Amino acid sequence: MKLLTCPLNGPRNISEFTYGGEFHLMPDQNKTDARQWAEYVFFHDNAAGVVTEWWCHTASTFWFLAERNTITDQVIRTFEASEVFSQRKAFSVIEDQA
Amino acid sequence: MNQRLAKPYGSLINRDQPIKFSFEGTAYQGFLGDSIASALAANNQWLLSRSFKYHRPRGTLTMAGQDANTMIQLQSNPNALADRELISENLRVMAQNYSGSLKRDRGALLGLFSRFLPVGFYYKAFFKPRGMWEKWAPLIRKKAGLGVINQQLEPDYYDKQYKFFDVVVVGAGPAGLQAALTAAVDGCEVLLVDENPTLGGSLNYARFDAEGLRGQQLRDQLLQQIDANNNITSMTDAVCNAWFADNWLPIIRGKRLYKVRAKQVILCTGALEQQAVFHNNDLPGVMMSSAAQRLIHLYGIRPGSAAVIVTGNNDGYANALDLLDAGVQVKAIVDLRDTPTQDAISKAIAARGVRILTGHAVFAAQKTNNHLSGVDIRPITSTGICGPQSESISCDLLCMAVGYTPTYQLVCQAGGQLSYDDSSAMFTLTNCPEAMQVAGSVNSHWDLDACLAEASRAAILATNALGFTETTIPEIIAKTGVSPNHPWPIFPHPSGKEFVDFDEDLTIADIINATRDGYEHIQLVKRYSTCGMGPSQGRHSALAAARLVAAATKRTVAQTGVTTARPPFAPEQLGHSAGRSFYPARRSNMHYRHVEAGAQMLQAGEWYRPAFYGSANDREACINNEVVNVRNNVGLVDVSTLGGIEVRGKDAGEFLNRFYTFAFLKQPVGRARYALLTNEAGVVIDDGVACRFSDNHYYVTATTGGVDRVYQSMLKWNAQWRLDIDIANVTSAYCGVNIAGPKARDVLIKLCLDIDLSAEAFPYMGVREGTVAGIPARVIRVGFVGELGYEIHVPQHYGEALWDALITAGQDQGIQPFGVEAQRVLRLEKGHIIIGQDTDAMSNPMEIQMGWAISRKKPFFVGGRTIAELQKKTPLRSLVGFVVDDLSAPIPLESHLVLQGEQMSGRVTSCNYSPTLGKPIGMAYVDPLSAQAGSKITIKSSGGVRVTAEVVALPFYDPNTLRQEL
Amino acid sequence: MTTLLRRSQLSRRHIALGAEFEQIGDTLLVSNYGSSEEIAQAKSLALIDLSTLPRTGFKGAGATTWATSQGVKIPERPNLALLQKDQSLVVRLSYHELLILSNIDPLSTQIERLDSMAVGPQTYTLPRADSHCWLAVTGSQAAEMFSKVCGVDLRPHKFANNAVAQTSVAKASAIVVRHDLGTTHCFYVLTDVSAAEFLWDCLIDAMLEYDGGPVGVASMRELAAEG
Repeated sequence: MKLLTCPLNGPRNISEFTYGGEFHLMPDQNKTDARQWAEYVFFHDNAAGVVTEWWCHTASTFWFLAERNTITDQVIRTFEASEVFSQRKAFSVIEDQA
Repeated sequence: MNQRLAKPYGSLINRDQPIKFSFEGTAYQGFLGDSIASALAANNQWLLSRSFKYHRPRGTLTMAGQDANTMIQLQSNPNALADRELISENLRVMAQNYSGSLKRDRGALLGLFSRFLPVGFYYKAFFKPRGMWEKWAPLIRKKAGLGVINQQLEPDYYDKQYKFFDVVVVGAGPAGLQAALTAAVDGCEVLLVDENPTLGGSLNYARFDAEGLRGQQLRDQLLQQIDANNNITSMTDAVCNAWFADNWLPIIRGKRLYKVRAKQVILCTGALEQQAVFHNNDLPGVMMSSAAQRLIHLYGIRPGSAAVIVTGNNDGYANALDLLDAGVQVKAIVDLRDTPTQDAISKAIAARGVRILTGHAVFAAQKTNNHLSGVDIRPITSTGICGPQSESISCDLLCMAVGYTPTYQLVCQAGGQLSYDDSSAMFTLTNCPEAMQVAGSVNSHWDLDACLAEASRAAILATNALGFTETTIPEIIAKTGVSPNHPWPIFPHPSGKEFVDFDEDLTIADIINATRDGYEHIQLVKRYSTCGMGPSQGRHSALAAARLVAAATKRTVAQTGVTTARPPFAPEQLGHSAGRSFYPARRSNMHYRHVEAGAQMLQAGEWYRPAFYGSANDREACINNEVVNVRNNVGLVDVSTLGGIEVRGKDAGEFLNRFYTFAFLKQPVGRARYALLTNEAGVVIDDGVACRFSDNHYYVTATTGGVDRVYQSMLKWNAQWRLDIDIANVTSAYCGVNIAGPKARDVLIKLCLDIDLSAEAFPYMGVREGTVAGIPARVIRVGFVGELGYEIHVPQHYGEALWDALITAGQDQGIQPFGVEAQRVLRLEKGHIIIGQDTDAMSNPMEIQMGWAISRKKPFFVGGRTIAELQKKTPLRSLVGFVVDDLSAPIPLESHLVLQGEQMSGRVTSCNYSPTLGKPIGMAYVDPLSAQAGSKITIKSSGGVRVTAEVVALPFYDPNTLRQEL
Repeated sequence: MTTLLRRSQLSRRHIALGAEFEQIGDTLLVSNYGSSEEIAQAKSLALIDLSTLPRTGFKGAGATTWATSQGVKIPERPNLALLQKDQSLVVRLSYHELLILSNIDPLSTQIERLDSMAVGPQTYTLPRADSHCWLAVTGSQAAEMFSKVCGVDLRPHKFANNAVAQTSVAKASAIVVRHDLGTTHCFYVLTDVSAAEFLWDCLIDAMLEYDGGPVGVASMRELAAEG
């Protein structure tokens, strides 16, 4: 069983975690055409190499990010989501939507 | 004749404790510590089993639990290994896989027809015509069967345990002992694990010098140090059965599976002696030289009276010395080499006058009474070919000492690379992970001192890596000495029966024919021929098969490679995986009130819930009565399992606005609002109600099965949005009931004095905080079942008290509890969907007629953009309500198909007999063209019966919602 | 408010085992199960139900600031526990989350005080007394027993006093806190209250091999006094 190091709880068996999918920044829905939006929602990179993924430590419901090499299954590092998301997120509004 | 030798032979047995047991109904006696095989051998019973395919007689091969020859039937355990399993008082042992008797097996006639059972027989014979396999399988299964499972047996208690070590050393031979000792520095916790009953490995039975003293001396010295070292934990009779990521080792001992996490692993797994391949090499009496030595030293058993040794190395000479010392006549050493290397041991043999035939091979073995009776010796003229000159030597023991393969299984599971050098016939292991070291004969060291030196070096690498030591790392130990592996101990015979794989009865011709049938890759040969797929997993066939395939395909063994050995290393009992497992079960605080009221409990996910109240035989009547009582009087249902999440903080409304499809910013305090959740793909994944208790405080319910996922998802989104809120899953902190029915208010008004319950003051979808029966409560007016109803949520530990108070207060109104089943019928009558039952992984809000729950006036919500795109398209299906008017038709069930002609156009998601409407009602996905009320749909119901149903507008019951808004 | 004495979700288990209850504050706890060997049992391996003892929780970006302002001493990092002046134990579960557990004798005064007051900005209360059950596993064999149900190494030399692990015990999410009673090892296990009986049964089963079993709080009090 693999070990994964939770930034809050330290190294634990991977069975203590929930996988949260590939990490992608959401494109601005108002500036994205349907094709690009579908790419974001439905198509995953499934890249061979180092990818960033969401993981959640289930017992503490602590979400964090992990960089993992999908070829070797080596986890390069894990870090808190606040490294990427430090600001309150606002969504754009289309003025003439009415 | 008793084969037992006097002390000090027999280190594993206690001669003061005789033990009686039976084999095939005959009584035998052995000693405490004897394996079944050794105890039988002591009584001169060598025949243990019949082979898998041809029912050939088989006996001891390795005496180490590494072969399938010794598989026997115990009452509790089929396919037990007779050389591993110990005898116990009155143990009943039977042989397996024979018809008639073990001695005279009628199935052995199959051997005569072996030419009709060619390699790939199953594929060839049963590929066509279709149905052939089904016809023949029962017969073949019976002939080729293994042991029998005793279905009457009470299962034993098997369980699991975690262990944690700094260093785990697998294999407690000389290298393993030394590695453990060197690794056991201050603070370093070391586990030494070995599958044998004692530590010491080959030191217990092998001969390292002419005098036969060194092994025992070294063992005593190392074991003394191990005993004195508190940092070393030893586990014997324990098999490390695999290597998994990050040094996660499943170690099985007895009825327990240990899940061991090691920071460093040192594999000292040793090597497995290989058989020579010649005619009748599988007869009882033919065994590995190491098996004969184990019999002598571990069990004090004379393995025969007259022996021949076929050897390709000097270990055969050491073996001869052991046999001589044990009083066995050694008739000849048949050395495959033209010019054997000389050492002290071979000189000692020469001095004792043993006949040595160099450049000779055993061409064939002969049998009498199911046992070896002699061998046919011939000179080797070229690789694998014998000349015509033949000499017969009578003997009852033939020891094979022609080489070893490393016990490489765990190394290779960890990604290590096994390679083979054709010129030296030696193996190398490379590419091990950083936290793994290998040492000893597994790494092709054959000199005892080199093994010890390499083990020390491996341990230093491990302790340095762990930071316990900063010792200078010794030079890599050079591989000195001569390879003990003879490159070609394989001698085809005109009559065949030279076995490569004993488990599967595969001969030289079978392997070569596999390559001729076009399967040249070693992995394909394995699958086509089944070579290496039997219980011993290629331990003794992989190398011989690789050599034969290499020769047949004109490649080197290095190019051919050997097949991968996947976990488990040794056979595991199902109990080890199936033994004690944890399935968390959750109970509401009112659980025992349901049980006491006669509820049939069901497990919904982890939760126990009352299905209905009453006898299982009266299921339908009970459910119908509960439904009718809710419609006419008042019912009470435990909804504690419903999810509850607090969303608090100044952005609470903003958060819900982003998370759910509806609009929440302007939701008034004191009101509940339906909350529909979609994912980014616009698929409906959960629903609940959001209750606003203050500007900054929402209490959101979620489905029983969905709440954990919803809570996780909320936290994941807010890790990205960083809104000023806190989210807390309080599901278990609250118990809840739904009191529903036209008389619900009449009951509640008796207990709830501080909330104005009038319809004007507390309307449908209102929420209030107050007390019920003196218990602090959150009261929500909801209408899931379609009647006047209140959900009452109270702190968990008051659940039972609340239940009791309501049941007592409601006696005059005819209150009765109702269960999950009645609730499902009630909500169906009211046309409410259940997420996960009436929706699937593709359902979008429009398909399920929930477009009204989508707010278009907010900048963003999860799934919003996708839903906007979906709204531009014509829906592919619609969820509609239907009724079946034909009461004689079989009631459709969930997942029955909706047909258009003979084509599937949809499926039923819910269907029940409705006591209120007096006929079956349901919901189904149908083609949007059939979604109009009045359309007829065809449902393929039970038994394929076509049932006509009529699409009707939802809800079925109380379309103007007068009743829930009473 | 009802005047019912608070009972544990496990009370039916206790009654079946012949428990003698005692009242502490407004709750009932098992005093003993009628055995004279309970102190020895607790030193070796025992299971104790503390579910009805007071506890509370605070969470949110302002939680530690507010709690500090109320005189609560905060453990220096997450997954540590710290004993307070009133003998309550503050368990820090993350940067912004605290769990506060009462002592038995005397009951903590701080918990009721904190629960009754208005919390500060960005601070939110958690109903920890209702959401979780609270068991204690005591004795020299506790860590060995845990290794049958929990994948975290809880051996005393690897898991120090006042260490905290949020993990899985018998596949149920749990908070494990080591808080020794005098010289006797003691591990608190808090898990979802609805799984209380499940966990109790799992732990009793895992203890059998070591002759462990349930004891009442009377022996716990003795052990704390011995230290």
